[in-house]
Amino acid sequence: MSCHETGGCDVDADETVALVGCPNVGKSVVFGGLAEQYVDVSNYPGTTVDTTEAAFGDAKLTDTPGVYGISSFDEEERVTREIVLEADVVVNVVDATQLDRDLFLTLQLLDMGIPTVVALNMMDEAEADGVDIDADALEAELGVPVVPTVAVDGEGIDELRGRVDEARAPESTPIERWFDELPDDVEATRAEKTLLVEGDEPTAERVSTGKVVADGGVPALTDVGQREDVYGHRRRRVEEVAGGVLSREERDSSWAERFSDLMLNPLTGTPIALAMLGAIFYFIGVVVAQKVVDFLEITVFGEYYNPVVEGAIESLLPAASWAEPIEFLLINGNLGLLTITVQYIVGVLLPLVIAFYFVIGLLEDSGMLPRLAVLTDRGLNRIGLNGRAIVPMIVGVGCVTMAVITTRMVGDRRERLISTALLGLAVPCSAQLGVIMGLLAGLGLIWWFGYVGVLLVVLGVAGLFLDRTLPGDSTPLVTELPRMRVPRPRNILRKTYNRTKMFLREAIPLFGATAVAISALDYFGGFAVIQRALAPITSLIGLPQEFARVLLLGLVRRDFAAAGMTDMALGTAEMFVGLVVITLFVPCILSMVMILKERDAKSALLMWVGSWIVAFGVGGLLAVIL
Amino acid sequence: MTEVLADTAPGESVSLERVPDEDVRARLLRLGFLDGAVECRHRVRKGPIVLRRNGTEMALGADLAAEIEISHAEADR
Ligand SMILES: Nc1nc2c(ncn2[C@@H]2O[C@H](COP(=O)(O)OP(=O)(O)OP(=O)(O)O)[C@@H](O)[C@H]2O)c(=O)[nH]1
Ligand SMILES: [Mg+2]
Repeated sequence: MSCHETGGCDVDADETVALVGCPNVGKSVVFGGLAEQYVDVSNYPGTTVDTTEAAFGDAKLTDTPGVYGISSFDEEERVTREIVLEADVVVNVVDATQLDRDLFLTLQLLDMGIPTVVALNMMDEAEADGVDIDADALEAELGVPVVPTVAVDGEGIDELRGRVDEARAPESTPIERWFDELPDDVEATRAEKTLLVEGDEPTAERVSTGKVVADGGVPALTDVGQREDVYGHRRRRVEEVAGGVLSREERDSSWAERFSDLMLNPLTGTPIALAMLGAIFYFIGVVVAQKVVDFLEITVFGEYYNPVVEGAIESLLPAASWAEPIEFLLINGNLGLLTITVQYIVGVLLPLVIAFYFVIGLLEDSGMLPRLAVLTDRGLNRIGLNGRAIVPMIVGVGCVTMAVITTRMVGDRRERLISTALLGLAVPCSAQLGVIMGLLAGLGLIWWFGYVGVLLVVLGVAGLFLDRTLPGDSTPLVTELPRMRVPRPRNILRKTYNRTKMFLREAIPLFGATAVAISALDYFGGFAVIQRALAPITSLIGLPQEFARVLLLGLVRRDFAAAGMTDMALGTAEMFVGLVVITLFVPCILSMVMILKERDAKSALLMWVGSWIVAFGVGGLLAVIL
Repeated sequence: MTEVLADTAPGESVSLERVPDEDVRARLLRLGFLDGAVECRHRVRKGPIVLRRNGTEMALGADLAAEIEISHAEADR
């Protein structure tokens, strides 16, 4: 159906065209080239994976996460598999420099009978590598259109757009010999049959539960998989096809390769990585989290925005008693919905989110991320994580809230839980770190080392503990190392823009709701009640009762807590204990909301309670020792 | 005594013979790393090992490398 019949033509078109390919082959750049204006980033239901959609003629164009094949080894693969199974046409983006790797997916798509057009991308790099591919021969060999492209320069995109209509799949492929193994009565499409003989469990479950199992005679489809055979056979076909169309001239290794070698050698890679992480920390943690945010908060919001809004609301609302709670909700000095909440979102969160996505984009496009993972894998293995968890840990020192988002990168559920818990517990964010460093400097250098030491011990012990107690094993590092490239600014800016937009759309309602809830608690005197209830705990760690107020402030924002301690008259040891406790104690409300959004409510609650226990446990212990 | 991947030195060319972890094996198979000789490109001491084949590089964690059995290709370069 076309939109001439249906009237409006938006992203809800019936026909879908999906861009599918291995990670880092340029799908998103091709997507940007093909897409017409309106681009919509959204979260794939039930997952942490984002997908991007746009209008494409009468059809809907979908960008998918990169995968090496259609199967279900991780969340990205499951999302891509779903999208491919629903798509009418697939544009398979292939990296010309990695033909032998990428054709596996291509042949799999054709085996599945999915109408396909191949975009042979990165032709510029292939040429520089001395790789020559005969696109016409490849087209003849595969039996589907093949269009050479250099997506970043827009080359070949028009031709690709013109040939999407010609998408097709060969009538029959060698996969069919395995179909005989399936029970005669399975009702499955060719795509599903292909996945069945490859032993794809979700497909097996779907197909077998789709039928009534009443007679009990349905054979367990999970057992018919012959993945090894099918994959091995397909690999041999790949070698044949690639061998026939590709010729390679030896070239000297490129700068990218030499730099990659330097990165992977710990002797040279470690200093490079440290310098880079230092730069990232400086950029996110100092320039943005402190300088830019301070300017926005103190000048823009403190001097202009907040007073103006407060004045306006006060003059708008009548002085009647019914208006008082409304006024409190909108403009109270702790977390007013129109004042401080807006200040947090626009003045704090927005600059951090932009800076952060910008840096992540740079790391992704340059090929740096997996190399950092290789360097740090060994250390992180000890606390149940693998090298991919390095990013959240580093970003966390900049801003815990941002770091919680990056835990998406670290692999399976178990690792995400561990890294999120450690972030919430023992990683102080830069906002707080500034104030804490100031206070510790007053105590003396030895206390500063003590502080770092206590945090590292807590981090290590908590990591070990979680690794031992959580069910399952830590997943080992298995990652491809994409080639190193100089990132293209346009691509980085486009990604940053899309991701920021998507983030704000999800986060704003959450923060708004939280602000209302906290203001309500405040209005009805909940804070004072909590402060009194906390009295036994504050005395446990040997601190005066006002410390509870500091803790409550810390809920709203971590640096408030640290700042609140500046004007308490405390002894040296008390100050030290207090600082350790506010660091370990729950992260700020923004990061709590992020944790809630990224993990489930139960884990968030456990982390919340867990960090209370650890904070006061360690605090109590220190109070006894000191 | 069979040799495992963790014992190889950079520059050696080996074939991966037995990969116990089923998922990892399927992933390597897909990428062509079980099709024949692959080059050991780097190894971090007690850490991951980086393999290379036709310009594709893969990093495998140390624990994994310790359980993958290999054989040496006839001519080591
Ligand atoms: N030299 C060159 N670089 C390209 C080309 N196409 C894309 N790139 C670069 O390749 C990198 C990856 O491009 P993306 O479009 O993000 O790749 P992707 O396939 O969407 O990657 P994932 O979404 O991570 O799977 C970026 O740095 C691009 O600038 C091309 O034709 N030539
Ligand atoms: Mg992409």
